[in-house]
Amino acid sequence: MSEERQTPPLFMDNLHPLESKVLLALAQPQSAPPTLDQLTSSTGLEPSQLSMAVEWLLAKSLIAVHAETVAHIASLTPTGEAFFDQSAPIERVLSAAREAGQTGKRLTIQDIQSQEQLEPSDVSKAVGTLKKEGAILIVQGGCIESTGRNSPTAEAMRTVLQELRSGQRDLETFAEPLRSVLQQHAVKRGNAREPFRVDERVTRSFVLTDGGRNVAERLSRDGVAEEVSQLTPELLKEGAWRTKRFRKYTISLRAPRIAAGKRHPYREFLDLVKLKLVSMGFQEMRGTLVETEFWNMDALFMPQFHPARDIHDVYFVKNPTHARDIAEPYLRNVTQVHEEGAGAGSTGWGYRFDVERAKRLVLRSQGTAVSARRLAANPSVPGKYFSIARCFRYDQVDATHATDFFQVEGIVLGADINFRTLLGLLNLFAREVAQAKEVKFLPAYFPFTEPSVEMHVRHPKLGWMELGGAGLFRPEVTTPLGVSVPVIAWGLGLDRMAMVALGIHDIRDLFSADLEFIRTMRGSF
Amino acid sequence: MPTISVQRDDLEALIAGPNGTPVRISLDQLEQSLMLVKGELKGHNAETGELRIELQDSNRPDLWCCEGIARQIRIKQQGASISYPFFKKQKRAAGKLVVAPGLDRIRPYVAACTAVGYRVTASGLTQLIQTQEKLADIFGRKRRTVSIGLYRLAPIVFPVSYDLVKPDEVRFTPLGMETVMTLREILMVHPKGVEYGGILSAHDRLPVLRDAKGQVLSFPPIINSREIGEVQVGDHELFVEVTGTDLQMVALTLNIFAANLADRGAVITPVEIQSPVKTAFGRRWHTPVDFGSPRSIPLKAIETALGEALGGREVTAALQSYGYTVKAAGQKVAVQLPAYRNDLLHTVDVVEDVAISQGYARFAPVMPSQFTVGGLSPLEHMADRIRHLMVGMEFQEIMSNIMGSHQDFCTKMRVDGTEWAKVVEVDNVMSLSYSCLRQWITPSLLQVEANSSRAFYPHRMFEVGEVAVLDVNADIGSRTVTKLGAVIAHAGAHFSEIHSCLDLLLYYLDRPFTLEPVPHPSFLEGRAGAIVAGGRVIGLLGELHPEVLEQWQISVPAVSLELELDRLLDEG
Repeated sequence: MSEERQTPPLFMDNLHPLESKVLLALAQPQSAPPTLDQLTSSTGLEPSQLSMAVEWLLAKSLIAVHAETVAHIASLTPTGEAFFDQSAPIERVLSAAREAGQTGKRLTIQDIQSQEQLEPSDVSKAVGTLKKEGAILIVQGGCIESTGRNSPTAEAMRTVLQELRSGQRDLETFAEPLRSVLQQHAVKRGNAREPFRVDERVTRSFVLTDGGRNVAERLSRDGVAEEVSQLTPELLKEGAWRTKRFRKYTISLRAPRIAAGKRHPYREFLDLVKLKLVSMGFQEMRGTLVETEFWNMDALFMPQFHPARDIHDVYFVKNPTHARDIAEPYLRNVTQVHEEGAGAGSTGWGYRFDVERAKRLVLRSQGTAVSARRLAANPSVPGKYFSIARCFRYDQVDATHATDFFQVEGIVLGADINFRTLLGLLNLFAREVAQAKEVKFLPAYFPFTEPSVEMHVRHPKLGWMELGGAGLFRPEVTTPLGVSVPVIAWGLGLDRMAMVALGIHDIRDLFSADLEFIRTMRGSF
Repeated sequence: MPTISVQRDDLEALIAGPNGTPVRISLDQLEQSLMLVKGELKGHNAETGELRIELQDSNRPDLWCCEGIARQIRIKQQGASISYPFFKKQKRAAGKLVVAPGLDRIRPYVAACTAVGYRVTASGLTQLIQTQEKLADIFGRKRRTVSIGLYRLAPIVFPVSYDLVKPDEVRFTPLGMETVMTLREILMVHPKGVEYGGILSAHDRLPVLRDAKGQVLSFPPIINSREIGEVQVGDHELFVEVTGTDLQMVALTLNIFAANLADRGAVITPVEIQSPVKTAFGRRWHTPVDFGSPRSIPLKAIETALGEALGGREVTAALQSYGYTVKAAGQKVAVQLPAYRNDLLHTVDVVEDVAISQGYARFAPVMPSQFTVGGLSPLEHMADRIRHLMVGMEFQEIMSNIMGSHQDFCTKMRVDGTEWAKVVEVDNVMSLSYSCLRQWITPSLLQVEANSSRAFYPHRMFEVGEVAVLDVNADIGSRTVTKLGAVIAHAGAHFSEIHSCLDLLLYYLDRPFTLEPVPHPSFLEGRAGAIVAGGRVIGLLGELHPEVLEQWQISVPAVSLELELDRLLDEG
């Protein structure tokens, strides 16, 4: 009792108007379970609406398939249409043979082919059939002669073409030999050049299930309430919504896709790095994409003969090739420190500094160039600075090398700066930026720092990895730029971390040009 | 810097030293020890025993070899530097090497010694050649400043002369060839002549090393003689020579080779160099030569830089066990590098060696304590505000390469030959796809559009990023400008769509503006506007010209917007 009372109302609330119509039509007394075609006329629904409603009701087990019959429907293919217009090859071969007989002309298979412009396969098939039926003979020299007899196949073919011309028909309605001719010349796999096709058509008839009968009874007793799908301003204004029923949606369906306005995932990552650095007390600094060798390298005490200054490591600018000036007193100071270390307590590199070389313009190859400029521009002491600077390297582009990329770099100035505070700062970076609990410090080499450190951290996914390099700027860097306190120079290599966070394996994908990829990429950080 | 290949048992034998017994070193121990030489273990082949080690320090060429790495580890283990008698001044020389006048304009310097008593093994020979190549290639800048020759000593009759000859005057059979050739022929035909001939191309006289009998040792820095200059397994008497353009680098390179051969058991005997001109070493000197000098450093300077009061005893011990000669005197230490090093430019170099010798783990990290205020530049702040507004207007942010092609930035945009086509170009182009810097953002976004016809529409994209604009008034010939670029593309994209975005954006940024028609070839005529604020053009917007879309193979209409953030900031 309780079950029966619960089941129908549950379905009734969810019934689509189309479903109600089909249920009511099926509940009518009828001679036999109706097919889809019959339901089309009894419900008055469009075929597409009807088949939708039937599928829904089948899924809910409110109706069931009573019987399923398979019919074979014959129809003409486009080849068949053409045969109807120009006669089938077998007919054309036969009439060509008869015509030749009348004129006394000798006719080979080749002649028929070219004269009638037929496919060789069609001709040989037709000749084979006609010969078998005794309608033609093949005589000496491969010539064809008509025997005057008729060809049953040719006649059947003409009849079938005519009959199907007026529309498709059930294969069963054709008598022999028409039916076998039709079947022999129906499209089979791999042979599309046939005049006929035979398709299977499944006809299903439907009956109500017990549950469906219950629902239908309730429907005819209570009537179909007027359902609306969309609440409208009019319904609200008039208060008419009170008399309406709102159709329930199938909310388990997948939502339609939309595109959001959103930040680039890699930029999101860099924004987070930026936030961390600012919260640790770092001021942002910016520089230029084009830089002089002076600020990119000389000011960093990289000798002009240093291997990393080679034409194979740095991009040189073509227009113009050189800067007009290098600001004094920096040019003088740096020249002296390279040549004999003067003023910085150094021996210098002991070579002749080339001022023209210093003016040579390059694409910034390291973020440290921005730091050097900052040191020369009256920095705060104590002071902390960072930059996220686009840099360029003369590298062949591949999965691990990009032509331009971001470097996260910076400096820390202060009277209390020394090797131990350098390690302390790096510890802070490891914790804040990489969420790493384990840190290792290794001796390292950079041309502009001494001592130099490489920091390795244990990343939750990557294991031990290099997070960055740092060191205390050499006095040969700071003194010529007018800085007298110790300075930490640090740089973080974050691209590998970013790639893990974004789930990508090719560095070029950080700057992908594929909108779908960018829309669907998401980060976990 | 160089990556070298060494044999694990060779390394272990060298660490043990000539009188020690080799001890197996685990890979973990090795990685730990490699910190002493700024080395990283890059690979290990358990079957062959080959180790691949990368050395970072470009100022320590003495470490770019198995002997050097082993030496640094051995010194640490024994706690004191190794004494090499041949670096001390001595009277005896194996012979003379006489430098001819005129070489000072070409390749002035030479250093040489003999090494007797080490019988060359196959793996030892491989190491000698590897060291020779790494030093000449990287330290010697592809043989330009330094090149090295190794010879069998027995056939050489002293004095050896370092001469200057005409290209056709001297003939010998070079290594790798079967026949006698003149120097000119070697430069033209021999692979090494072709590779390194450029070093001598400006000269009509060429350097050559010959012995007293006139036998050619080599044609430096190109190639050795096949008869004398081909060291083979089993040889136990060697002659080593270094030529080059820098006196100290030449001397240092020979010192490294002498120490390496001594570590393998050879007895090194100096050669006397006679120069026609006075050098920093005089007119006559012996090589190997220890040209370093002691340097007095306040203990305090080391302690301050490290942030740790180590005391004189620890500093002395640390430096001695890193190869230095040290004398402590009160509050100062007098330090001198071993003769195979020449990288003490400043006190800080000693500071780092103290730290490396003691291990970085010896120093407890301390947080910098001084207070600083963090913050963004006004430009970055403006960029962030604009990015948030663009996201709110349902634009997807894009990030692109700044480097690209003239084709993309100008030709496809129909601006060739106009004022909008002034881009910073690269001189040493590697690939035409990366030959200049973008001068605006729109091409970067059209690149995305061209790649994304299958992504569902509408497409709304923006990028805030840097571009480079040529500017004759700028010291460096160009300015770096931060720009906003935005593109809307879909079947019905039109001017007013992007205009509305601009309008709203500048409303929120509180920058009143007007639009003035502009004849810009990238846009349809009459459908492009210059954005003017405070009497200055701060940007551009319009409907992209169908020909532009065709060039990019974009099949939907598109509109774009460009805004200069730097100018927007000036207006504020």
